[in-house]
Amino acid sequence: MAIEPVALAAAPRRAAAKLVIDGVSKRFGAREDAVQALQPIDIAVGAGEFLTIVGPSGCGKSTLLNIVAGFEMPTTGRATLDGKTITGPGSERGVVFQQGALFTWMSVQDNIAFGPRALGKSVAESRDIAERYIELVGLTGFGKRYPYELSGGMQQRVGIARALANEPEVLLMDEPFAALDQQTRELLQEEIRAIWRRTAKTILWITHSIEEALFLATHVVVMTARPGRIKAAFACGFSREADPLIATTPEFAEAKRTIVGLLRQESLEAQRQETAASPR
Amino acid sequence: MSEVDAAQNLTEDLPPARRTARRDRWLGLASFAAMLAFWFAITGSGLWPPLVQSAFLPSPVAVAKTFMRLASSGYQGHTLAHHFLISLMRFGIAFAVCVVIGVPVGLLMGMHSGVRAVLDPPIETTRPIPKLALLPLFIIWFGIGELSKTIVIIAALFPLISISAMQAVRAVSVRRIQAAQSLGASRSTIFRRVLLPASLPGIFTGLRVSVGIGVTMLVGAEMVATSDGIAWMALTAADFVQTDIVLVGVLIMAALGYGLDQIFRVLERRIVHWAGRE
Repeated sequence: MAIEPVALAAAPRRAAAKLVIDGVSKRFGAREDAVQALQPIDIAVGAGEFLTIVGPSGCGKSTLLNIVAGFEMPTTGRATLDGKTITGPGSERGVVFQQGALFTWMSVQDNIAFGPRALGKSVAESRDIAERYIELVGLTGFGKRYPYELSGGMQQRVGIARALANEPEVLLMDEPFAALDQQTRELLQEEIRAIWRRTAKTILWITHSIEEALFLATHVVVMTARPGRIKAAFACGFSREADPLIATTPEFAEAKRTIVGLLRQESLEAQRQETAASPR
Repeated sequence: MSEVDAAQNLTEDLPPARRTARRDRWLGLASFAAMLAFWFAITGSGLWPPLVQSAFLPSPVAVAKTFMRLASSGYQGHTLAHHFLISLMRFGIAFAVCVVIGVPVGLLMGMHSGVRAVLDPPIETTRPIPKLALLPLFIIWFGIGELSKTIVIIAALFPLISISAMQAVRAVSVRRIQAAQSLGASRSTIFRRVLLPASLPGIFTGLRVSVGIGVTMLVGAEMVATSDGIAWMALTAADFVQTDIVLVGVLIMAALGYGLDQIFRVLERRIVHWAGRE
């Protein structure tokens, strides 16, 4: 089997970790009608690891990412980067959103140069950096275009380049390809893999696509229905393979079967919660 | 035939977008020409006896002649250009004050709930009051000079402009602000390069609406205690049943409103070209 259960927060992993999610839970709202979005979660992510989180919708996986990004504070526990507690957004953690987060009033080049400019680099230097990342994500010649002139896939490339331009140590990706069609998605997945290998970034990736998780990740976390906690975690070897058609092998199918099985129960539970919450 | 084929045939029958646009432009012109022709026909224009007395509705030719006469010899001691420019100035000053103060106030209200809590009640409660009804009060408070005329226009435009700016800021997507934060942007950078540009389309919509209303408000502003202005000219001429002069005034105001709107349209397309396109 190409995936193996792993204790994500075991002591040796924690000791060597870049990013640690340490007993993080999240409760929304006031006492009476508070919603427990996350139960305490422990995850340690080593430098250069690619960790994907899959879970049924509403399980709190985006909330977890928002906490690591610093957009939200955990109710209990803390997230740390290199031992330092995360208290707000910061440029050492680049974020790529699903869609609709580009600056539509700026050209592609200005979008990507935004980060370097914000960090105090000169206009000329920021532009050079932008040019480099435009090339990296395959958008050469599109620097002067505006986001609305690009396809959905190209817009996501801009989003990725924008996050990379600050050379963050960690990349946080919140279902970045969810709105794209299958073909575009697969191409971008391959490119992300290539970029990850070349830059050795630490990546935390939220997705609801099991195939995407297995194809990209060194570690896959399966979450339960709300209130989310970790149901299972696996170390995963497919992302190390060179074969772009790895997803068609029996080993891949076997791994997918394991995770689909785990997720199915949780999705059913999530659905049950949803129908229970809205009577009639 | 499958459903897909049928759908395809249906779209093939439709004219391409460009042809539709050209057709609509001609339809617009034709509609305008028809109105003019109708006016021409019922007033005779010297070619046949008028169906309506010229005191009620002078012919287009008579209105054009009156326009030429006013343009060369003026009306009641002032040139036509003076009447036009003084009206434009009253509108322009009021509009400029509203933009310079109303937009920042609206932006602040959108960004700070405290500022909103303080300013929202006075703006919201005075908004439904017809501002013309306040004109006598403004005259008592600010005298019969230019000030009270400008203030009545400001009173009408300020809530519109500030509220549209406030709503524009509040509608800026959280995602974009978070994106900027995680790219290391400071608060002032986020305001300058994210909040402000993202609000511009909404601000522009507010400005365009208030251009139309501001021109309308000229009529009210020039209703009393004035001796110049295009609206005043039309109102005074009406007292003497000089229908042709009334129409010249009305048409000039229509042209002014239309012209200003066109200018704003062009500015909008230039400056906020991304608006409404994701």
